[in-house]
Amino acid sequence: MNTNGTQAQAVKAPVVGRYRVIPLIEEGATANQRSTVARAEVQESLGLPGALVADWHDRAIERLGQLVQERRGLRVFLDNCTRCGACTDKCHYFLGTHDPKNMPVARQDLLRSVYRRYFTFAGKYFPWLVGARDLDRSMLEDWYTYFHQCSECRRCTVFCPKGIDTSEVTMAGREILASVGMGQQYSQEIIGKVKHIGNNLGMKAPALADVLENLEEDILEDTGLAIRLPLDDASADMLVVTPSADFFAEPHVDGLIGYAKVLHQAGIRWTFSSEASEAANFGLFTGHHEHMRDIATRVRRAAIDLGVSRIVIGECGHAWRVAYSFLDSLVGPMDFLDPAHPRVEHICEVTHQLWRSGVIELDPQGNAGKIVTFHDSCNVARGASMGERADGQFTLPRELLAASVPKLVDMSGDTVRQKTFCCGGGGGLLNDEMMDVRVKGSLPRAQALKAVVDSDQVTHLAAICAICKTQLSGVLPLHELSEVEVTSLHHLVGDALVLS
Amino acid sequence: MLFSAAFVWMLLATLWRLLEWARTPSPLPIPLAPAPRTRLAVVGRLLLEFFLFRSLARANPTTWLASMAFHYGLLLILLVHLRLLFVQLPLWLLPFIRISGWASVLTVAGLSILLARRVWVDRLRYISAPSDYLHLLLLLGIVLSGVALKRLWPADLYAVGMFLRGALTFDPQTLPAQAGLWLHLGLVLLLVVIFPISKLLHGAGILFSPSFNQRDPHA
Repeated sequence: MNTNGTQAQAVKAPVVGRYRVIPLIEEGATANQRSTVARAEVQESLGLPGALVADWHDRAIERLGQLVQERRGLRVFLDNCTRCGACTDKCHYFLGTHDPKNMPVARQDLLRSVYRRYFTFAGKYFPWLVGARDLDRSMLEDWYTYFHQCSECRRCTVFCPKGIDTSEVTMAGREILASVGMGQQYSQEIIGKVKHIGNNLGMKAPALADVLENLEEDILEDTGLAIRLPLDDASADMLVVTPSADFFAEPHVDGLIGYAKVLHQAGIRWTFSSEASEAANFGLFTGHHEHMRDIATRVRRAAIDLGVSRIVIGECGHAWRVAYSFLDSLVGPMDFLDPAHPRVEHICEVTHQLWRSGVIELDPQGNAGKIVTFHDSCNVARGASMGERADGQFTLPRELLAASVPKLVDMSGDTVRQKTFCCGGGGGLLNDEMMDVRVKGSLPRAQALKAVVDSDQVTHLAAICAICKTQLSGVLPLHELSEVEVTSLHHLVGDALVLS
Repeated sequence: MLFSAAFVWMLLATLWRLLEWARTPSPLPIPLAPAPRTRLAVVGRLLLEFFLFRSLARANPTTWLASMAFHYGLLLILLVHLRLLFVQLPLWLLPFIRISGWASVLTVAGLSILLARRVWVDRLRYISAPSDYLHLLLLLGIVLSGVALKRLWPADLYAVGMFLRGALTFDPQTLPAQAGLWLHLGLVLLLVVIFPISKLLHGAGILFSPSFNQRDPHA
């Protein structure tokens, strides 16, 4: 059916037209879609067992017991589900794959049934009555499979009357799996690289300096202006930490050029850091708080070493959640920052403020002919905020876009803002072996996009997350939406910016 | 005596459970954004969820309607049962007693819809454990036996009141020997016993959910 692209042969994309149809369950539909288990040396470099340990059962139960004592959220979430079914049709992976274990409650129940069996009265003495299950090998395999078919996007939480957050359950499940030797290759390898080298790509400082120099030349050619992309500049006031995909991947790099144009035009002295050359923090995905803290510490250390008074995060969804919501708890206080900018800022907040105060000027003519829609990234939408308003994470990017493009169109109300659908590739699933699940998981987003393409002839989808951009530019063609260009918000802002 | 013990158990076990939740640390702020920026707004969010099941209304109108009917019907029925605690009938209870028939209808209708969903919707059937059906059947049994006591097998309310007041004040009284009454109270006893150790405590759990009860970390 879809023959464009090399993945297309292996992956059959669901048909986009079935908008809002709740599928019937198909047991085991994606039971064989497994993320690759981490290699021994990857696990061991993070101080974790290289292969499944002999006493995995006891150690997994012990770790689960510790986690429910350490994290109130997890404990309340495991205790409190009534299986009311409100979440069952809300997960993009369920809507796309039809596998019942991708219903949020069923995913949680993989862990909850074991928790009940070992830690609650009813589960200990009447397991058959309350659906409590022993932790056997097949359950362990189910944990691995289905906790890696969740992007931790928290859309189900929006609809849960008990406020149960599946991402906390998924994170706990992944953390336990890694602790008995079943980490996920993709995420653990990246955590190793960022901890030991400084970014997810494993790109060392001289290579990064080269890349930035080349980009400066490109910008000079394009604009005729010497716009800088400084690295480790000790005279800077502002440290910009961005996902490393921004340095080389398309369409990300145009966003990076956009940041540089804005900061140049505003006359701000800023720099990247080779030590903290990565905003992403996959410790959030694996649920390992210590890894998350170690990765976050680099940002604080780099900021202090460079003597900056402002820290700005580039377009990266989960990085913004970690920075906005967790940084103070993990590595705070951030008391060395400028009192006028007392917390870490998002690049959209910086640009918005410059535009609002008249320091920079935006002209939609720079994007003539473009009809744009905005994809809210899950971690920004449901895990953080922007500006001074509770819903600033929705309004600030839209205001910037409205000022930068001729026409901005929103997708259907139940697929944007707080109810936004995941792109299908978040939470550590953006790897080739998960392509089938990624394509199916992107179905609800593709359907909502198709609707505005048909009604308003949308030409561009703007995003503020590196994962969303990579995933959507990869899967949209499979949904026969290749005419829509996925773009960085700051690419559009950069093109609308009046430079002088 | 069994009843006195059951009520003490319910209070202590519930308290224990809440204390366990309360003393588990919350290492990271994980409110569901957009999160309230003031304490007052947090209270507002909790009240909306606790009393109006706001998120459920967003998710599924049928389940929401059935749940509202059942919970508020049951609340009215419980209110009317207060009459048994007073020797003299308080006047403010009269209007509630007058609509108590409708309250039973609401409750039974709500519970029946919830049960029917579990049986008919394939997703619900997949996730349901035996206890999920049994909780609903138990509640239905209690309400229906209660309705029967009112309509078919009239009970000696004065004697039941004596018994109940006795049970709550540790002064055991005999319960009239009537099969319907024993059935109704037996089911209630079972509910009271499992209440603190089952999902029935989810109302209190809502108040402890970090998704709902935390503020925006930078507000």
